[in-house]
Amino acid sequence: MRNLLNFLARYNNLIIFLLLEGIAIYLVVTGNDYQNSRVLKSVRVLSIGVEKNISSTRTYLNLHDINTKISQENVDLRNKMERLIKSESQLFFSVTDTILQQQYVYTSAEIVNNSANRQKNFFTLNKGKKQGVEVDMAVTSGEGVAGIIVSSSENFSVAMSLLNLDFRLSVRMKSNGFFGSLSWDGRDYKYAILNEIPQHVIINEGDTVETTGYSAIFPQGKIIGVVSDFEKVGGDFYKIRVKLTTDFKKLNYVNVIGNLRRTEQKQVEKSFQ
Amino acid sequence: MINSIIRYTIIFIILILLQLLLFNNIQFSGFVNPYVYIMFILLLPVEISPWLLLLISFFTGLTIDFFISTPGLHTAATVLTGFLRPYILRLISPRDGYDPGATPSMEIYGFRWFLFYTVFIVLIHHFSLFFLEVFRFTDFFRTFLRVLFSSLFSVIFILLIEYYRRDR
Repeated sequence: MRNLLNFLARYNNLIIFLLLEGIAIYLVVTGNDYQNSRVLKSVRVLSIGVEKNISSTRTYLNLHDINTKISQENVDLRNKMERLIKSESQLFFSVTDTILQQQYVYTSAEIVNNSANRQKNFFTLNKGKKQGVEVDMAVTSGEGVAGIIVSSSENFSVAMSLLNLDFRLSVRMKSNGFFGSLSWDGRDYKYAILNEIPQHVIINEGDTVETTGYSAIFPQGKIIGVVSDFEKVGGDFYKIRVKLTTDFKKLNYVNVIGNLRRTEQKQVEKSFQ
Repeated sequence: MINSIIRYTIIFIILILLQLLLFNNIQFSGFVNPYVYIMFILLLPVEISPWLLLLISFFTGLTIDFFISTPGLHTAATVLTGFLRPYILRLISPRDGYDPGATPSMEIYGFRWFLFYTVFIVLIHHFSLFFLEVFRFTDFFRTFLRVLFSSLFSVIFILLIEYYRRDR
């Protein structure tokens, strides 16, 4: 007993160190899985007030950029509208479908907290369950893919950014339809890596890369970026560097896209897995 | 005693706010991000008992973790730093040792000493932090480069803050 006490007295600092470091490492290993970190979620509510103020300043400073983007989008929408009005004003047209076939719902949200300089980046949106934002919805910026919602509270939601080592997305080459898997290698926030495109496919620099919609999260054909360079690695596949169209350092407003038929699709798929 | 507790609380709050509001928003090319809050552990009195130092380091890291939502990451790094700090102080102790009740500052021990001290502590902290973040040793040199660059900026900022603090 006495020996034990002596031992404890002698190494008490080392013991405290190992204990505290153990707690910390435990938190790192278990808590980084975002959905499981309950403690974090409740604390986020506290820190979100601070983040909101920072982000409102940043939004103000970026107003010019935002305005140009919005006007660009306006022009696009106006063009589309023009086409639709034209088709409606034709005297004869056949109605092929009477039931509304809407599959995706869109809503816009503002980013209140964002990071692009870590290895596992997340961003926080100012809309949550009350506004209809749910887990596994897609997030896009005006130009391209931004991330996927991983958790949502009453009024806020957290999305896993494309700039996250855990992010995987099924994408395809627009020119020939071959699909592969997109991930981020943690190097540069402007580039992501596209794997699993077989080597017999002809690809060029500047080819567009878009989403496939296989995962029932993103709609088909959302643009991700363009091929910047590629190399042949190992046996069969290319390793393609994709220049992302979304600028993650200037992300302010995003669209959240929900798939109304996701549960249906998942259910059907589940019965075969 | 009470006085110094109040003083350190103020320093703590200022450094945490600086880190959250200013330095977290500095991102040079996604490669460099200075973590200046570590200066708090740097400034604690030389003769603080190791167990208290460990506890303070733990809570400093925990506070930062809560605000940038990285569970455990900064805590692990600061606890390690707090554990190694006494050894580093012994390693670079001036010839006549430390005065009782002294705090590590540029004013007392000079620029050179403070620079070495800062570089050691910041390197330990950043090294453990960045490698825990990626959690793998592939791309070792890239992560190592991140450590070096971020440390460089952290050290510069800490020296600037210390310089300013001395003038007041």
